[in-house]
Amino acid sequence: MIQRAPDIKDFLRIATGQAPLPDQPQALAAFTLWAQQSHILGQVAAVVDAPVGTKLAEILENARLRSSYDQRMLTFETNRIKRALMGADIQPILLKGSAYVAEHLLASIGRRVSDIDILVPEAQLGETERLLGQAGWRAEESTSGAYDQQYYRRWMHELPPLRHVTRRTLIDVHHRLLPRTSRIRPDHLKMMAAARQIEGSDLMVFSPTDRFIHSAIHIFGDGAFETPARSFIELYYLYQDLSDDERQGLLARATDVGAQKPTAEALWMLDEYFDIKAGGARASLVLKSCLRSVTAGQGSGQFLANSVLYVRSHYMRMPLPLLLGHLWKKLLRRV
Amino acid sequence: MNRRALSDYPRSDVIHALRSGTLALDLGPFLTRIKLSDRRSIDFFRDMYAACPVSIDKAVLCDFSLCLRPPNKFRKYFRRQIVPDPGFQFPAVPLPLEMSPLAFEMGLNLSVALQCFRFAIFHAGVVADGDNALIIAAKSGGGKSTLTAALMEEDWRLLSDEFAILDLDAATLKAYPRPVSLKNASIDVVRGFAGSGQVSDTLHDTPKGAIAYRRPRPSDIETMQRAAKPRLILFPRFTDGAQAESREIDLADAAMQLIASSPNYQVIGERAFSGLMTMLEGMKAYEIEYGSTEDSLALVRELWKAHVP
Repeated sequence: MIQRAPDIKDFLRIATGQAPLPDQPQALAAFTLWAQQSHILGQVAAVVDAPVGTKLAEILENARLRSSYDQRMLTFETNRIKRALMGADIQPILLKGSAYVAEHLLASIGRRVSDIDILVPEAQLGETERLLGQAGWRAEESTSGAYDQQYYRRWMHELPPLRHVTRRTLIDVHHRLLPRTSRIRPDHLKMMAAARQIEGSDLMVFSPTDRFIHSAIHIFGDGAFETPARSFIELYYLYQDLSDDERQGLLARATDVGAQKPTAEALWMLDEYFDIKAGGARASLVLKSCLRSVTAGQGSGQFLANSVLYVRSHYMRMPLPLLLGHLWKKLLRRV
Repeated sequence: MNRRALSDYPRSDVIHALRSGTLALDLGPFLTRIKLSDRRSIDFFRDMYAACPVSIDKAVLCDFSLCLRPPNKFRKYFRRQIVPDPGFQFPAVPLPLEMSPLAFEMGLNLSVALQCFRFAIFHAGVVADGDNALIIAAKSGGGKSTLTAALMEEDWRLLSDEFAILDLDAATLKAYPRPVSLKNASIDVVRGFAGSGQVSDTLHDTPKGAIAYRRPRPSDIETMQRAAKPRLILFPRFTDGAQAESREIDLADAAMQLIASSPNYQVIGERAFSGLMTMLEGMKAYEIEYGSTEDSLALVRELWKAHVP
């Protein structure tokens, strides 16, 4: 039910509080639908004030209630993870949303979160899984089958997802940033070495520069852009939270840790969609045109562009023979 | 904003709006954008929701969006299936295309249950006598829907067959009068007293058995903006051949059972607790057991008379 988005850049500006809401009812409805479908209503609600008593005010209030629960849940679960690993000499690094919330970053405000991502040294993977298991996190039902379990453990960058038996919360335990088979191999050990403690807590997070780089790796090196607006807003806010020095050192650090390509693509996106001029922004023609087509939310090119991005995400993740075998399995399971 | 009863629109306009996903259903506290493409769900919608206000204007803001679509391209053409898509990932079971009305009703339930946080929601039927509401809490096979439909015949207003929607500030229940979902033996029972014109065609062999729907009356739709103050909660149990019996239960137990049936109580948090406690003040809760619709109606009459002036 995708509506034609008149101009994605206008929508992104409104969603990040840089432009007022549209006056025209039709444009307002299109913007709201776009924000709903992009799962960013909570973030919109944090920067937009709707007139009291309107449907928009109700919709935003509803989104605010949901995202504030997500943040409470995340804070609580992070605390439980800390407790589960207590005394084991494992210091997990919080990734993505859980790190943004723990550090009160712009990117966390109103963000919808459904799972918790942590990173531990590969040598401590078994111990981490055992301790989390004792605390109630077991293999998630949808991936608890033998094929998925062995697939994750053999090829992926994380354990199969763990779901808490009573609270139903989901943890992804990573030991690297991209699948073992991935085409780009960011040096997660270097990034882990630069990680630091959150103030007033003994949990760890990446440095601000590495945090942006990791988000770029996740979005441009791994994902299929299912919710591009949400990803772009995340990178926009992460960039906003960097100092000038950190911004300038971004590409050098990215090259240093082997993530030059996704970082340059992320910077291209900031230029393309937010008019942020950051040096070294580069992306391939195919990626550019696919993203433009997908984010325009219209036209017959959509399906093709989405398919290309889907195939690209798998191409980035694994070599062709492995990919063909895996896609065949997934196809058989779907029909 | 241009909003009229569905039946006041030309047929072709409604069908076109449903197919292109621009129809907005304005029911109780929620506006829902609906997209349907198969004949059967479109006919079902036009029939069961005929008295409901809708808009076919694209510029209407909606709380939820619901689209019925094939689970994948393959199932669009071969052994056709349909799945409700409420706009977020949910492992809904694909159904054969003939069961699209069920997929639609399940989809609307999902939309409300998993996306509404402005109100606390409990799984229960709600009917009202004027501004006083009766909550019929759900227990599978308890006979909630049959009792709800039977009370409609006794001139109770239908607020909802599925959800008690609690306004946390006012401690009142919102009306969301959708078709009453009937299963198996209760279909013929309700056809018997409501008349078969009020009940949809039966869908056979669904994952829930045989399913049919009892249409809300135009009066339920006309009065749907009138919230009602809950006075009595019943936990019904239908047992074949049982003696009619009622047993008062502690309000704390009633609260625990309601909370267990709520899809959003945890998400709302503290306000849901305090709102529920305010709602329960002065209420009475009973378990009732019965073996026939007549007995259940007699029990309700008796308890209602004893507690609601």
